[in-house]
Amino acid sequence: MNKLILGGVGVVLVGMGLMSSFYKVNPGEHAIVLTMGRYIGKPITEEGLKFNWPFGIDRVTKVNIAEVRPAVFGFDKATGRPRTTAHRETSQIVTGDLNIASVEWSTQYRVDKAYEYLFKVRSAVETFRDMNEAVMREVVGDRTINEVLTVGRTEIQQEVKEKLQALADQYELGIRLTQVILKDVNPPVSVKQSWNDVNQAQQEKSSMINKAEAEKNMIIPKAKGEAERTIEDARGYAIERENNAQGDADLFKQVFSAYQKAPEVTRKRIYLETIGKVLATQQRDDGKGGFVVEQGPRKIIMDEDAKGMLPLLNLNQGAK
Amino acid sequence: MLKQFTSTFIGIGIFIAAITFFSAVYIVDETKQVFVTQFGDIISGPHNGPGKDEAGLYFRIPFITKVHEFEKRYLEWDGDPNEVTTKDKRFIYIDTYARWRIVDAEMFYKNLQDENSAKLRLNDILDGAARNVVAANDLKEVIRSHQRESIVADDQVLDGESQLVTFEQGRSKLAQLVMEDANKNVPQFGIKLLDFRFKRINYHEDVQKTIFERMISERSRISSRFRSEGAGEAAKILGTQQRELKEITSKAYLEKQQIMGEADAKAVAIYAEAFDQSTEAREFYEFLKTMETMETTLSKEDTLIFSTDSDFFRYLKRSAPTKE
Repeated sequence: MNKLILGGVGVVLVGMGLMSSFYKVNPGEHAIVLTMGRYIGKPITEEGLKFNWPFGIDRVTKVNIAEVRPAVFGFDKATGRPRTTAHRETSQIVTGDLNIASVEWSTQYRVDKAYEYLFKVRSAVETFRDMNEAVMREVVGDRTINEVLTVGRTEIQQEVKEKLQALADQYELGIRLTQVILKDVNPPVSVKQSWNDVNQAQQEKSSMINKAEAEKNMIIPKAKGEAERTIEDARGYAIERENNAQGDADLFKQVFSAYQKAPEVTRKRIYLETIGKVLATQQRDDGKGGFVVEQGPRKIIMDEDAKGMLPLLNLNQGAK
Repeated sequence: MLKQFTSTFIGIGIFIAAITFFSAVYIVDETKQVFVTQFGDIISGPHNGPGKDEAGLYFRIPFITKVHEFEKRYLEWDGDPNEVTTKDKRFIYIDTYARWRIVDAEMFYKNLQDENSAKLRLNDILDGAARNVVAANDLKEVIRSHQRESIVADDQVLDGESQLVTFEQGRSKLAQLVMEDANKNVPQFGIKLLDFRFKRINYHEDVQKTIFERMISERSRISSRFRSEGAGEAAKILGTQQRELKEITSKAYLEKQQIMGEADAKAVAIYAEAFDQSTEAREFYEFLKTMETMETTLSKEDTLIFSTDSDFFRYLKRSAPTKE
């Protein structure tokens, strides 16, 4: 009976011993083994099944060194929005020009030295959060709100990352930063409207300029075309004028040389023809393919001997 | 019967031996520093203090000694937000943190006993030191750290927009001062401060409002500047447009007049050359032109009075040729 109990106890002890003698290191994990509370000198970095002393003589702590751990500031991780007063307080930062900006950011890191992470600093996560807030405020505190909101973002991310890493090294936190991401960076809520108005004013400015530019572009080329036209018209006039003059002149020369052969007769002929035309009732081209009948002037013919008739004629009748 | 007693005694013996053994050994963990007291006096240790690598298995006298464990790792001190008025009369909250460590477990134990009282003591020391330093400086000294010029596109900057100003010491220097000041008071507790930093510096709610108002007025100044700049530049463009327009039309007019003038001059020359070749030609031209003009100037409205003496009606009276 006793032997049975002893045997049973022995089996249980051996079983427990065997079970606590092995542990598994997964990919991406480092194991820290403490033998009697003492660190054996280096982390177990290769994956697989490992042996250790049983019954709590060896104590194994495994740290995931592949996992990227996020720390978020000023907003809720689940909703992505600041929800509590604590979030708002975290994100509110006094800028270098003593204004206030609301800065939300997140930091990602990995544990790269498992021993330091576990044994150098007691509350590594809280410490890391405090460091984040201090460093972000230091960096933002050296910039104007304008810079923080516009051109400074990348630079801030970079500088925070460098400073945070340096501080983590100084504190022997055993972590490596992978990324610092500035999320929403805004002016405080009650100021935001005026900030947006600046953007709007800026757009209005360029639209006013564009509009003026457009009007100018519409008018100037047209004016240039019209100027060309004026000049071309003048050129046309010039050609016409010269040609007409030349034509008239040539005509005259020819008529004149013909006239010179029989001046007396020609002269009389032209005279009579002209008077005939003037006095005739004539048809004139109306320019539309038809004719307009025009009455010639009124004629009064008096004998050269019948002097003194003139006052009897009512000459005012036809005058305008 | 006797055999049973014997085995019971052996059992009890083993039990007592085991208890004694486990009471006589203790483990000093990597994260702990330890000393052993006997009737209140330290008789062993401290073991595994800062800078020492002494973790492992230790022996002690069982039952009458006591093991005291203290944290060896860097510890955190997170201050509560403190209302402070800066030298330039700004009402702010400062929130700070520090890192510290138990460097002398014995003194720590004697003066503070545990971390809780250490935290309270640090509150007094650090908050006090921080208040003093912040109150003796302007706000910018707590905010700024490095002298630098802001980098912002020129069109974004307005005259009178708040800019980075120069400062004397800066945030890190002030934190340094706080730490130096505090470190004078903490060694007596077996503590060493390793770092002290300003975590948050925020305006007091009452001040915040004025800051917001200032920010708003600054922005609206910038907005109106953009708007008036836009109007100005648009007017400038339209002005240029007017000038170009006048330039174009007047140039065209000038050229037109020149071309026409030249043509007229040429025409005049051509006419002169033809009509002015001799007295006879001049006279003939006059005659022709008169005839031509007559054709176009007389209409039915006019009344012509002829005498039968005229060339045209000469034959109205008689048909005989005129005598020369």
